[in-house]
Amino acid sequence: MSHPDLRGKAGLLIDDIPEMRAAVRIQLADLGLEKCDAARNVKEAIERIAANRYDLIVCDYNLGQGADGQQLLELVRRRKTLPMSSAFLMITGETGYEQVSTAAEFSPDDYLIKPFTAEMLGSRIARILDKKAGLKSIYQHLGEKGDSAKAIGACDVLLAEKSRYTLDVLRIKGDLLLESDRRDEALALYQTVLDQRATPWAQVGKARALAALGNPAEAQEYLQRALEAYPNYLAAYDSLAQLLEKSDKSAAQQVVELALKVAPSTRRQRQLGSLALDNQDFGRAEEAFRRAVDKDRTGFFKSHDDYAGLAKSCVAQGKVQEALTAVKDMGTHFVPTPELLARQAAVESLVQTKAGNKEAAKAALQRALTVQSESSLDPSAALEIAGACFASGDEERAKSIIQAVAEDHHENDDVLERAQAVFHAAGRADEGSVFLEATRKRMIKLNNDAVAMARSGDLDKAVAMLQEAADRLVNNAQVSINAALALLMRAQKQGITVAVTEQVYRYIVQAQRANPSHPRLAEVAKFYRKVAPDAPQLEGI
Amino acid sequence: MDALVAAAIHDAKNGLTALNTWLAEAQRESPSPAITEARAVATRVGAQLVELLALYRAGEGSLRLAIDDHDLAAFCEEMLDELALPLGPGMRIETHLEAAAQIGAWAFDAYQVKLVLLDALRNALRHASSLVSLRIDLTPPEGLRFEISDDGPGYSDDILAGSDTSMDSQSSGLGLRFARLIAQHHATPNGCHGRIELGNRVGAVFALILP
Repeated sequence: MSHPDLRGKAGLLIDDIPEMRAAVRIQLADLGLEKCDAARNVKEAIERIAANRYDLIVCDYNLGQGADGQQLLELVRRRKTLPMSSAFLMITGETGYEQVSTAAEFSPDDYLIKPFTAEMLGSRIARILDKKAGLKSIYQHLGEKGDSAKAIGACDVLLAEKSRYTLDVLRIKGDLLLESDRRDEALALYQTVLDQRATPWAQVGKARALAALGNPAEAQEYLQRALEAYPNYLAAYDSLAQLLEKSDKSAAQQVVELALKVAPSTRRQRQLGSLALDNQDFGRAEEAFRRAVDKDRTGFFKSHDDYAGLAKSCVAQGKVQEALTAVKDMGTHFVPTPELLARQAAVESLVQTKAGNKEAAKAALQRALTVQSESSLDPSAALEIAGACFASGDEERAKSIIQAVAEDHHENDDVLERAQAVFHAAGRADEGSVFLEATRKRMIKLNNDAVAMARSGDLDKAVAMLQEAADRLVNNAQVSINAALALLMRAQKQGITVAVTEQVYRYIVQAQRANPSHPRLAEVAKFYRKVAPDAPQLEGI
Repeated sequence: MDALVAAAIHDAKNGLTALNTWLAEAQRESPSPAITEARAVATRVGAQLVELLALYRAGEGSLRLAIDDHDLAAFCEEMLDELALPLGPGMRIETHLEAAAQIGAWAFDAYQVKLVLLDALRNALRHASSLVSLRIDLTPPEGLRFEISDDGPGYSDDILAGSDTSMDSQSSGLGLRFARLIAQHHATPNGCHGRIELGNRVGAVFALILP
């Protein structure tokens, strides 16, 4: 059996049971791991992961307080505080292994079923550290300031070298191709794998590629067949629910219910609650949101959405007091950011309107609008205020808020869907579709007109138009990119100044912040370097 | 099977795990062949209880396998380490795992498949005269084939005819039922299912074929 060389490595051991921590720590020390921190719960684990760089994390699946290792892993990988180069080994009981091994989007590098010997632990660690080392050239381009194109390049080098981790490389490359909108290549990759062998990740990957290429029906069929063969494969449930959310929310709700039977998760309870709310299945929505807020006693996995959803599902059933309690609880469980305060006031207004308390509703809405006027809110909080405006009868204000959000995020389907949900909840689904489609088209036209203007030589006009839009719509990556491109085209003709360089730099950074994986970022960055070779360097593009 | 029985089996399995931990401790303090034997028995009975629970869950419709890619060479290495059985005098295990490295990884439930194969290996070791062999092959279009053979008396006609137990045997037939169950639960989106194959050559040949 092979043993890892853990000398000089930094480790973190996460387990809520002191005896288990002590036992595994001794085993790790026997394997040569001298520097090993310990965390007793999710809070400590998150703090340690944020403050240190670990080569290896060994985490028990069951962490108490309604939390589990899978949710923790998902959180730190999603926030990118735990780089892919850090190995994550999950320890699980025999009855929980199937929840761990087929974890969804973010899975551990490996899992070990209790009871295990020091030798078994050692050989697993040796195996995952070997793999991490083998894939290091890819991992260095992933992460917060990552570069998908370079990561794909690193995958190709490893594939050409016939790495022993070829399947892992293909799996990572497939994800990267999908992220970079290189859908045809992704589809071809998954098909090549499936021609050789059946494996769940390639089946789900193929379905995702088909969906991205505009074949939702075929994608759905692939996912349904995947679930028949691999009924535990959570990524298949997640992808299917995501597809169905667009066409059949009732069916989507059923898929999420099934996924929750495979593995509990606060995120999926929230998704279930939100779908049930849309489907006017208020009792089920209340149950799901209540589980989300009650089960997670760590407070790290629940969100404002859970309390807002709970309040809405309660008031829809006439449970005004419970709804108001949920609104109040929202305020006690999170840091009072402008987003929280605005959202809390907006939901309170909605609840009071439905309860027939017009004055209280008006006062709460006013509080929400005051916060909005004083700070720039995220789309969720702004849309919540729009919903409260609709409920109170102020349609104009509701639509103007939604329009601002939709223009700012016109390429973000998730935000547009949430905007549509606000119309839907107000009983204006058809109007919403027309309104949002018109907004989307207007944004496309703005971009197209400006580009056409620039091409026809009217660069000053194009620049003015795009700069006005980019300064207003700071979350719209496409508008920011086009503003930068127009400025660069003009500079190419008229010469570049320090002031223009600064403006271009600002728009590119703005676009990168809005959407780091925007497919046109690389193009604008290249043009920037060409036109302004001595300008400040762009990071991560 | 009654839910109470299932819960009791679960408790018994945990008890055996604890017993095995104590035996391992005792073995460290003063090693003896008797403790080694006791550990082997505890491991075997523990595995049987896990198999029984899987059959129960299948009956309830709640047995769901966790299928994912596993490196075959590492899987076999770990399985042989876990076998941890004192081989009798003159007994040896021969492995033909060259194909494992060539195939690389395969998608299957490593936990359940390991239980099936360990059971088959222990069974082969019980009946073999001197040799048990473990082989991996890729057998398209069916899939991956694990084969365990021995040089013992071979399977009885009852078993080859499809029965889980032999008329003249003391075995409960649990191992074969479990193996069939796990094989059948391995499926592909194209509708292929796994299966087991029993036959006699020099001695008994057990094969698990995974799609």
